[in-house]
Amino acid sequence: MDPLTDTGTVDTDRISEPVHVGGPDGPWQRVREDMRARGNATVFTTWGEWLGTAVTDPGLRPLLGRDWQRYRRTTDPLIRYRFVTSRLVTKFTAAAALDTRATDLNLAYKIGGRPYLRGLDQVDISLTHTDDLIAVGVSRNGRIGVDAEPAGRPMSFDLLHGHMCSPAERAELERMPPEQRSAALLRLWTLKEAYTKAIGQGLRLGFTEFGFGGGGETGLLTPGGRPASRGEWAFGTHRVLGRYLLSVACHDAGLDTSRDTAAGSMLDEGLMSAVAGLLDAGPPDGPAPGPGT
Amino acid sequence: MTGTAQTAAAAASAPGGPPGRWEADARARAARLEALLGDPYEPANPHGLRALFDADGRRTPPPDTEALLDEEGWAAEFVPAAYGGRLTRADLLARALRPVFRRDVALGFGHGITSMFATGAVWAAGDERLRHEVAALLLGGGRATILHHELAHANAILRDEFTARPAPGGGHRLYGRKDVVINASRADAHVVYARTDAARGPRSHSVFLLDPARAAPGTMRHLPRVETSGMRGALFSGLEFEGRAVPGDTLVGGLGDGVALALRTFQVNRSVICGVVTAAADTVLHSAVRAATTGRAGPVARRWHKPLTGVFADLLACDAMATVALRALGLLPGRAHVCAAAVKYVVPDLLREDLEELAAVLGGRGYDLDSPEYGALDKLVRDLPVAGLGHAGTASCQAVIVPQLRTLAETAWFAEEEPPPELFRPGAELPALDFRTLGIAGGGDFMAASLAGSAARLAAGRAVGGQIGALAELAEAFVAELRALRETCRTLPPYGSRGLADPAVCVLSDRYSLLVGAAAVLGVWEGQDGTDPFLADPAWAVLALSRLGARLGVPVPDLPDGCVRQVLDELIRRYRSGLGCDLDATVLAQ
Repeated sequence: MDPLTDTGTVDTDRISEPVHVGGPDGPWQRVREDMRARGNATVFTTWGEWLGTAVTDPGLRPLLGRDWQRYRRTTDPLIRYRFVTSRLVTKFTAAAALDTRATDLNLAYKIGGRPYLRGLDQVDISLTHTDDLIAVGVSRNGRIGVDAEPAGRPMSFDLLHGHMCSPAERAELERMPPEQRSAALLRLWTLKEAYTKAIGQGLRLGFTEFGFGGGGETGLLTPGGRPASRGEWAFGTHRVLGRYLLSVACHDAGLDTSRDTAAGSMLDEGLMSAVAGLLDAGPPDGPAPGPGT
Repeated sequence: MTGTAQTAAAAASAPGGPPGRWEADARARAARLEALLGDPYEPANPHGLRALFDADGRRTPPPDTEALLDEEGWAAEFVPAAYGGRLTRADLLARALRPVFRRDVALGFGHGITSMFATGAVWAAGDERLRHEVAALLLGGGRATILHHELAHANAILRDEFTARPAPGGGHRLYGRKDVVINASRADAHVVYARTDAARGPRSHSVFLLDPARAAPGTMRHLPRVETSGMRGALFSGLEFEGRAVPGDTLVGGLGDGVALALRTFQVNRSVICGVVTAAADTVLHSAVRAATTGRAGPVARRWHKPLTGVFADLLACDAMATVALRALGLLPGRAHVCAAAVKYVVPDLLREDLEELAAVLGGRGYDLDSPEYGALDKLVRDLPVAGLGHAGTASCQAVIVPQLRTLAETAWFAEEEPPPELFRPGAELPALDFRTLGIAGGGDFMAASLAGSAARLAAGRAVGGQIGALAELAEAFVAELRALRETCRTLPPYGSRGLADPAVCVLSDRYSLLVGAAAVLGVWEGQDGTDPFLADPAWAVLALSRLGARLGVPVPDLPDGCVRQVLDELIRRYRSGLGCDLDATVLAQ
């Protein structure tokens, strides 16, 4: 089987198909539907489509929040616009998943660099860009990682296998006709990037330390080729815009989370009203002792 | 008899023995249990990790270890000393539980603390008869489980709830179903948080203590086992009630007290969970150090210094946060809630990231799922979300913090007195945990006061430079963040308006919680008496606070020379000597 066919390497039951969103106005309906149905959604776009908003929106500063300074410091216009667009796409995608406004969200970064939404842990997010493509993944089931590369990027088996292939992958690639190896390596690269980004580690986790199968097999494998998880991970590799390979890694922590991910409904009214009702009660002496004292 | 002698005699005959002995006794019990559970890495040990992983794989509680815990009368840890058990202080409870959690979080929940979570309401508000009933049940080897009410954004464990409708002639009848209840099939008592008022609000639910054996035929049905991906060995299944009789004398507290009782007892549960899951992460850190040192003649590879020392510092910080919250429950019971909520908000998230950092260190070995040496990572990655309850767990903490932020900003921050130093001082005697005195919201915030106090005492150190200078600089950065937070929180709308459903308020509660974490680290560092030179030295606190500061996005100074080296040396020393990566440097069985 061609490892690069559009649906050949996607766990379609668990990974939503990436959806093209041309600008801040959407369409966002698919993102909401995918979040409800499978708990994750992936959006892709090109930065040129969002550039108008990126350079003209008077609300750009509040939209960028703490990223504003970094944006202002970046002098190379290409890097600058790509940076601002990728943050906008991330915030608008998250806002669609959380049923809120992008300006209300605080995009922050964990120690290893993973982006997250401060205070709103009902979704995890991931972001990737390559050439003019930007893609954002969002999930309510657990960690998510996305990675994209130009589909034609040549990958030399001889140069790269020692850096990125597990022994089992190397053996499999060696059995493959040489002309298919570059494409197979590229698929592996994006899957490995997506997985290590999902767990917030990037290249700190050696790419030879874990693996994936070829063909339709997309589970996480040990370096020796045995299953390396108990089915919590799902993976997908898609071709988008006809010229990019986009891989998605989704973890399911197994909590069967609420389909309601709206920011506006997350604070329990009963708990809040019980707390609020006591704030006027006076000095902090605690309640009167109960029976038996 | 003189007054002093009378006091001494009263203390000596106090339940659980004299308070001065509580800590030594709890530590002795923990050491005994640690020794009984034995070397986790010994393949032939029936309580070792191989046996525990095997039971997890078979989706069953480990039979030999459950039997051992029964023989040891482990359940007595959850029964207050005044009722014949061993429970005195919450911080000592967590320490006594850690040997089990260090090996298997699912066993700790399934065999143990679920009973405590369930019976907390009885200790908080039950009458004497109910208290004695529950004490006798647990001390006799029985189990209790909790049937939660549904909270916002509920996951499978918190989803659905029961309704108690008034019955003709008095009492209530119970209706509804819940599919995912731990120990539902084997509990001898059900503590049900049932809806008794259709209106949403603080008086909507009531708590009942029910004996499943007394349900009339046809009114209670056990539903099938539910297989979870985390805590696979814990027994989750469903319960359905169809008009089950709820006699009036099963009511715990007053009608409509359910939400308040949940809040008052959750703070104990939250603090205990943070204290015990931190010990579980310690086992993973040990396996990562093993991976980084095994087969190497030379020192640990440089690229692993940052993750290993960072996680060690985080575990000490998590222990500091949990310990402070647990000690506050006894020392400041009317005011501890907001601290417990903030700590529970921070700790599971920190640990989740720590596990991911350790995954990079473990590399391919981390996928060696059944190996006692390296399999702890995979298991805890699966078990931790169930223990912390994920987003629904953090959101319920935010629901406690958010409505208080404006009041705290207006009246408490930079105005309140600091808490008593015993809160942070190791070995200090503290009052016993008394569930009856636990408050919900006192309007005060001793942790913010402590943060400001620590920073003020450290301020002179800024000129000194080095590690003390970095510590002072970090403390000041957190105080500056508290000042900024105060300005923002003062402008929040009052409770009751739609404004508090704004996601921007959740951002504020996140920032606040990290400040509470920083205050705990500073307080515990200041509370050191020098007995442990490593903890008395600033290196671990500088590293832990730098990481909390980075999470918060405040300016963080460069790590001073020697900081990482000192923490790494201590980590390797503890690993080689079989000591835990907690504040106590607990001696581990080997």
